[in-house]
Amino acid sequence: MVRAVLKGLLAHKLRLFLTAMAVVLGVSFVAGTFVLTDTINKTFDTLFSEISANTDVSVRAVSGFGADSSPEAVRDTVPASVLDVVRRVPGVQAAVGSVGGYAQFVDKAGKAVTTAGAPTLGFNWTDPALSPLTLRSGREPQRAGEVVVDVVTAKEHKFAVGDKVKVLFRGPTEEFTIVGITGFGKADSLAGATLAAFDVVTAQRVFGKVGRFDSVEVKAAEGTTALDLRDRVAKAVPAGVEVVTSQQVADEGAKSVQQALGFFSTALLVFAGISLFVGGFIILNTFSILVAQRTRELALLRALGASRRQVLLSVVGEAFLVGLFASLVGLGLGVLVAIGLQSLLKAFGIDLPTSGVIVAPRTIIASMVVGLGVTVFSSISPARKASKISPMAALRGGGVEQGGSLRRRSLAGVVVTGLGGAAMLYGLFGGGISLVGLGAALVFVGVALLSPLAAVPMARVIGAPFPRIAGMAGKLGRQNAMRNPRRTAATAAALTVGLGLVACVSVLAASIKSSAAAIVDQYLAADYIISTTQFVPNISTDLAPRLARQPELAAVSGLQTGEWRSAGATRMLYAGDPATLGKVLKLDVTAGDAGGLARGEVLVSEKELKDKKLVVGGTLAMTFARTGTKELRIAGTFAKNQLLGNYVVSTATFDANYTDRLDFVVLAKAKAGVAPAASRAAVEKVTADFPNVELRDQVEFKKQQEDQVNQILGLITALLALSIIIALFGIVNTLALSIFERTRELGLLRAVGMSRRQIRSMIRGESVIIAVLGAVLGLAVGVLFGYAIVGALDDQGISKVVIPGGQLVSYVLLAGVAGVIAAVFPARRAARLDVLAAISYE
Amino acid sequence: MNGHDMNAPMQPAARGINLVKVYGQGDAAVRALDGISIEFAPGQFSAIMGPSGSGKSTLMHCMAGLDTITSGQVFVGETELSTLHDKELTRLRRDKIGFIFQAYNLVPTLTAAENITLPMDIAGRKPDQAWVDRLIDTVGLRPRLAHRPSELSGGQQQRVAAARALASRPSIVFADEPTGNLDSRASAEVLGFLRTSVEEFEQTVVMVTHDPSAASYAERVVFLADGRIVDEMESPTADKVLDRMKGLGD
Repeated sequence: MVRAVLKGLLAHKLRLFLTAMAVVLGVSFVAGTFVLTDTINKTFDTLFSEISANTDVSVRAVSGFGADSSPEAVRDTVPASVLDVVRRVPGVQAAVGSVGGYAQFVDKAGKAVTTAGAPTLGFNWTDPALSPLTLRSGREPQRAGEVVVDVVTAKEHKFAVGDKVKVLFRGPTEEFTIVGITGFGKADSLAGATLAAFDVVTAQRVFGKVGRFDSVEVKAAEGTTALDLRDRVAKAVPAGVEVVTSQQVADEGAKSVQQALGFFSTALLVFAGISLFVGGFIILNTFSILVAQRTRELALLRALGASRRQVLLSVVGEAFLVGLFASLVGLGLGVLVAIGLQSLLKAFGIDLPTSGVIVAPRTIIASMVVGLGVTVFSSISPARKASKISPMAALRGGGVEQGGSLRRRSLAGVVVTGLGGAAMLYGLFGGGISLVGLGAALVFVGVALLSPLAAVPMARVIGAPFPRIAGMAGKLGRQNAMRNPRRTAATAAALTVGLGLVACVSVLAASIKSSAAAIVDQYLAADYIISTTQFVPNISTDLAPRLARQPELAAVSGLQTGEWRSAGATRMLYAGDPATLGKVLKLDVTAGDAGGLARGEVLVSEKELKDKKLVVGGTLAMTFARTGTKELRIAGTFAKNQLLGNYVVSTATFDANYTDRLDFVVLAKAKAGVAPAASRAAVEKVTADFPNVELRDQVEFKKQQEDQVNQILGLITALLALSIIIALFGIVNTLALSIFERTRELGLLRAVGMSRRQIRSMIRGESVIIAVLGAVLGLAVGVLFGYAIVGALDDQGISKVVIPGGQLVSYVLLAGVAGVIAAVFPARRAARLDVLAAISYE
Repeated sequence: MNGHDMNAPMQPAARGINLVKVYGQGDAAVRALDGISIEFAPGQFSAIMGPSGSGKSTLMHCMAGLDTITSGQVFVGETELSTLHDKELTRLRRDKIGFIFQAYNLVPTLTAAENITLPMDIAGRKPDQAWVDRLIDTVGLRPRLAHRPSELSGGQQQRVAAARALASRPSIVFADEPTGNLDSRASAEVLGFLRTSVEEFEQTVVMVTHDPSAASYAERVVFLADGRIVDEMESPTADKVLDRMKGLGD
């Protein structure tokens, strides 16, 4: 039996290849995702251990969030005196204070030096024996006005020792002389971040930490272990200060990167899963066709004494081998996909540092399990069908067209679709995202089960113009698409999934775009929005006060945002200037007194107040990483404002509980009666000194929001493209198998005078019908999904469903074109059939 | 019996001159046709007979432009086939030649009526409806026109195929064992129709068969063995053909 399977496979290498392709692509996506994230993780692991390679122990403030790691920046600083305390501890060979923060270079053209995601870091230069920095040229910074630049930034922006360079900070912009160029260990840069190093006094001043350090880094004397040293130092330091090993600091850093990447890898794996789901459809369809075509052969085996089990295993065995082959190839391609994914993400502005390629055992195991699993699982139903073939079928001719009642199948389709729809809605309205995914998958399966019912009438309509365009060839193409509704439907179903998701995302994007504009109108009062392109807040706190002094402007507020915790749950708060916040945002205070903000109180949104059972005038316990738990009085409530979240405090309260304040946005409102040109000029006069910011009025802001949505839509569509390509392979495969099955008929058509061209046109017609059928079903499902999701996002301010009609129509047209492309190879094969061989083929 | 003889010399509907067809190369070479010259007069019903491997099917395929010859010349009407490329050959088959195969003659997705007019539909030409109607009535298929091939009996399917072969008024009809899969009653209907088409419509028909009673419907039988013409018989009867075949060792 095994030999029969192997021989069967090798006899049809092309078929094997086409079938395997569906799995290969999906597996390569899975493997690629793992390879990419592992590689990035490894890069950061190396980076963090390099940072702490020269020290053994780190002394820092206790985090209000407790022991579990939280981003370094939000911890409090320690007094500089801690350094002296530490230095006196026996076993300490050397200790240095370290202080850092936001520092962004301005290049020679006056533009801010930006990174694609990585931070722009500044810190004090420390003894190279205790720091990862290694001078490449020049010398270390020794006094005010001196800076050291990293190699990559210096190279890219043509900075040389002796040059003057402007640097942006939390406070005013300052000018420095470059005295040295530094590498980072053996590397040129720190994962794409820009580095600026100053003497310690300057660093403390520009980062607003005079007389303080973020941490003290300690090197142990010969013979003292890191753990010993940690315990010894811990006894010496004052309360509120903790001592950890440098290894732990590195691990925490690596872990927080891993968590951030976790989201990424999950998102990519979802798309890989979609590809595999589509691949599963194609495997199922291919094996169904193969079993149908081999009815006589399988029946002969049964007649010769093969048991049902053996027949079943022969089909599953073939699937296993296909899956094995596909998984191995997919794994290999995964490395290429990793590189491709990285450039794709980079094209969309997400630059991730990598070095080398990591193929972890986990990647290999997951790829093999997933690839084999999907292939074998998808072959079970066709295999069962094969095992039910009676030995008598060997004696009957043909038997290719499969019968069986569509009623049971359709009933199952209705049930599965219903279940899927219910799961999805339940998931959307509180049940969680995985239920939504499961529901969507079920809906697609249900639609696939139901679609044979729709296939014939839909093919008739879609193909209606074909006879007029291509005459008999068009007519035959249409008939061929209708002759086996299950096959046509199953082939189209693969495309339904991809296009359904694309359509859903398009509806979502169109709705978000329209709502985003509405949100701006509804909640924003400011005329000018000043923001930056970096992901982290980096607008100097100097900007807002300077704008406020412009006589053309009526109100200006910088906004800050930060994390805090309540009973273990992390929440966000927004902060602004209490005097002007209500003028730049439509802050509708519905109860209590907004004046409380200025007294260190908190405003809570109406809905949150109700949901969390809080009361105006009561207190709210808020835990901050820097200052621990604080009881804040609830000053009042405000009506929903999409731009402010649920909790609002004053900038002063923010400063009291967070370090390193930077604004993520500055809002400005012009004075009544001032011409727009005049007010804009006034804003530009100030922003000119801050080259990292971008100024937009409301119209431009709306446009930017739209652009951002478009960019995400583009990224998602690009990631879904793979599943659409797989679906096209499915069409190629089905057509190739159908042509094989219709060899005799094609020979007849050629004999009675059909030209090669007409044969090609006939196959193309069938292909286009299948593709358009899949697309139309997909769009229908996708639009319904869009409705459901937008409905669920109602309280996110996305209230209006917008159907991007033109876009959806263009998808259908593109599907038609894709159908033409998918038909190229099968059509050529069909047209090249040797007429004589075909008519004598049995 | 054959009214055209008096109008001689008349151009044959098809003729082959010194036809040689070699399969394979070197020692493995097989001469399927070994220098055959043959003519098919217009309005004549010819049968080609011979034992398996005698080259009778190859001869038909080469005469019909389905296969190429190694050397020699094939003419259909005035057209020499060896000068034609695939496109022109296809057009020739479509417009000048009718085919009836042993089985699988019909396109399963088309109705009987659509199958009959298929060559004209492929050409994008309007069929001569009066002619088609006459054929349909002659084969007696009027009540079955809207049926798909799967709903027709084997004999009905072959009659549809025969009607299709004649529908475009080809210069010559080639039938390859048209009754090979039929019982005797259905065979008689198909053969009767072919005979009628010759007698009434002056159609030229060439039929490959190894059934002596089928051959008896023809006006002339050509016997092949080992790629050569070994005998000819006018006005054959089943018994005479059977006797001759025995001599060829089939």
